[in-house]
Amino acid sequence: MLLKRLTEAMGPPGFEDDIREVIRAEAKPFADRCDTDVLGNLICEKGAGNPGVRVMVDAHMDEVGLMIVHVEDNGLLRFRALGGIDPRVLVSKPVRIGRDGRPGVIGAKPVHLQSQEERGKPLKMEQLYIDIGARDKDDALAVVQPGDVAVFATECETIGDGCVKAKSLDDRIGCAVLLEILKRTYRLPLFAVFTVQEEIGLRGAGPAAHRIRPDVAISVEGTVCFDVVDAPGHGQATVLGRGPAFTVQDGRTLADRRFLEFLIAVAEKYNIPYQLRRVKGGSNNFAAIQRTREGVAGGAISVPVRYIHAPAQIASLDDYEHTIRLLDAVLREIEAGAWTG
Amino acid sequence: MNEQELRDLITDLARPVGPSGTEPQMQAALLDRVRDVADEVFVDVLGNGVAVKRGDGPHVLLAAHADELGVMVIHIEDNGFLRLISVGDVDPHCLPGRIVRFTNGTVGVVGAEAQVKREELGFEHLYVDIGAESGVEARERAFVGLEGVVDEPVREVAPHRLAGRALDNRAGCAIAIAAFRSAAAAGRRVSLVFTAQQELGARGARTAAYRLRPDLALVIDAAPCGDTPGAERMELKLGAGPAVKIVDATAVVPARVKDHLLDAGKRLGLAIQYEVWPRGRSDAGALQAAAGGVAVGGISYPARYMGTPAVMIDLRDVAACARLAAEAVTSYPG
Repeated sequence: MLLKRLTEAMGPPGFEDDIREVIRAEAKPFADRCDTDVLGNLICEKGAGNPGVRVMVDAHMDEVGLMIVHVEDNGLLRFRALGGIDPRVLVSKPVRIGRDGRPGVIGAKPVHLQSQEERGKPLKMEQLYIDIGARDKDDALAVVQPGDVAVFATECETIGDGCVKAKSLDDRIGCAVLLEILKRTYRLPLFAVFTVQEEIGLRGAGPAAHRIRPDVAISVEGTVCFDVVDAPGHGQATVLGRGPAFTVQDGRTLADRRFLEFLIAVAEKYNIPYQLRRVKGGSNNFAAIQRTREGVAGGAISVPVRYIHAPAQIASLDDYEHTIRLLDAVLREIEAGAWTG
Repeated sequence: MNEQELRDLITDLARPVGPSGTEPQMQAALLDRVRDVADEVFVDVLGNGVAVKRGDGPHVLLAAHADELGVMVIHIEDNGFLRLISVGDVDPHCLPGRIVRFTNGTVGVVGAEAQVKREELGFEHLYVDIGAESGVEARERAFVGLEGVVDEPVREVAPHRLAGRALDNRAGCAIAIAAFRSAAAAGRRVSLVFTAQQELGARGARTAAYRLRPDLALVIDAAPCGDTPGAERMELKLGAGPAVKIVDATAVVPARVKDHLLDAGKRLGLAIQYEVWPRGRSDAGALQAAAGGVAVGGISYPARYMGTPAVMIDLRDVAACARLAAEAVTSYPG
């Protein structure tokens, strides 16, 4: 399964080499060319010489992860987060360190030994460590160095009623959507960009857009979803299974109103379910792309992901399929001249 | 333009409801004021309204943000109440009990959940009651993403003094219009941009400057007074004249530009104040860092109660700002 190959590959911000090679192998048979830019973005062109609206679609290939910053005398590894991670989700989670996937476990004081006060407070990131079973500092340093990175060791599998559980669905599910789109042919210049360093401040997308000079840009992103217990309607953000989500305003973007209306019109014409993201927090690469050069039209299409930025995330395969259908329909409509810029 | 003409212009410009993001719908009202003297006017992708006049001398860009603070509908409850998020840095305490006017004409009253303590009040506790008796009715009159503002019309509270909604920065738009018209009449090469999304972090200014590549960008905006009871310390006084921007949180004005503005003020015999506003957010930084870098300066009119629905300004300050801006543009040596 494509989602399994993508989500199980390693790629914290700045360390996207492994995931990029996985994606390159998937994209290469279908793209005219695949180039890596100086930041590490993978830019896949298809029909770049075609007349028509230059379209950039992007998904970020990096994932939230951890970086080893210090090795203790007893061989335990101290770490910091790369991207936004709630330290409360980390305790006791298995991780994989470095390109050879060395296993480790995030450790903490067991409940038996905690004082009443300690039990009442969540542990901070500085109190946690990764245990790789090393005897001592030298033993640990023989296999791990400060600056090495780690990701969650979560196996991807389909679960329940048409759902998928994995790490890094944010945003490997977007990468999968782009790869499915690359298999099709459109009569327009198409640039599918797999970007780096989104999770630490949308750093890759801007330079890629500056290079490509798109007329329209669409970011495909995994987004927050909290349609569960105790969440009021205006606190859910999105609902799983209710279709791809569009942004009206997030932490860094106000919707490009004309493009939002275009997205809605396409979804309704093709009878594809959609929802509006009902939360201001969070952001995606379109924020960076929109402000390149003279400004770029476009928006984001988001796939709801429960437990985003946590070790095990859940998405709906219906939402995934509907996102592919929607992006395909949007490109067909642009191809047919329905987007008038 | 004299004080009377500026008062009428500002009052007209403050009528359109224009929270950040809705600029494309209101740019026509602004650009109509310069269309007759400009060589080219257009609205760009981000929603900036741009007027360009070809002419002699260095290319000076006047930048005044068109947007205002507002609210946005983010959820419609099944019982017909609307939930809100802010557009820009809006204090939720300003809203309960106020009338909100949305861009589609729908109006309603802002309510706050009663069990929330005042100091903990956030947007998640607010709602708008548009009088709808059901979610179905509410969805006919509102939608997720609909934007609005607190309805507080501009009033003349004293001779020379106006108070009300959107004066920050429609007064700046009026100053920029007056200066653009003067510079165009003098045959200078001048552009004007009514920037989009300034309240959210100068998002429009950057792309506008990238396109226009001016030799100098002059930001026209409001700056807060410190002359009210218990005010935060700030040197500016209402009615004491234009403020030349020295520094804000986004930019340090180069000495050469600052001196040019001070000299222009001296030539006109204007009382000038210094805007030293370390926490102030303006378009200056985005303009300065655009493309290969742009010389930037600023002329600000003092304003009281910035960030609230009722800002107060003094028309004598505004008229002096317009004269200063026109003189600064037409005499800029490049």
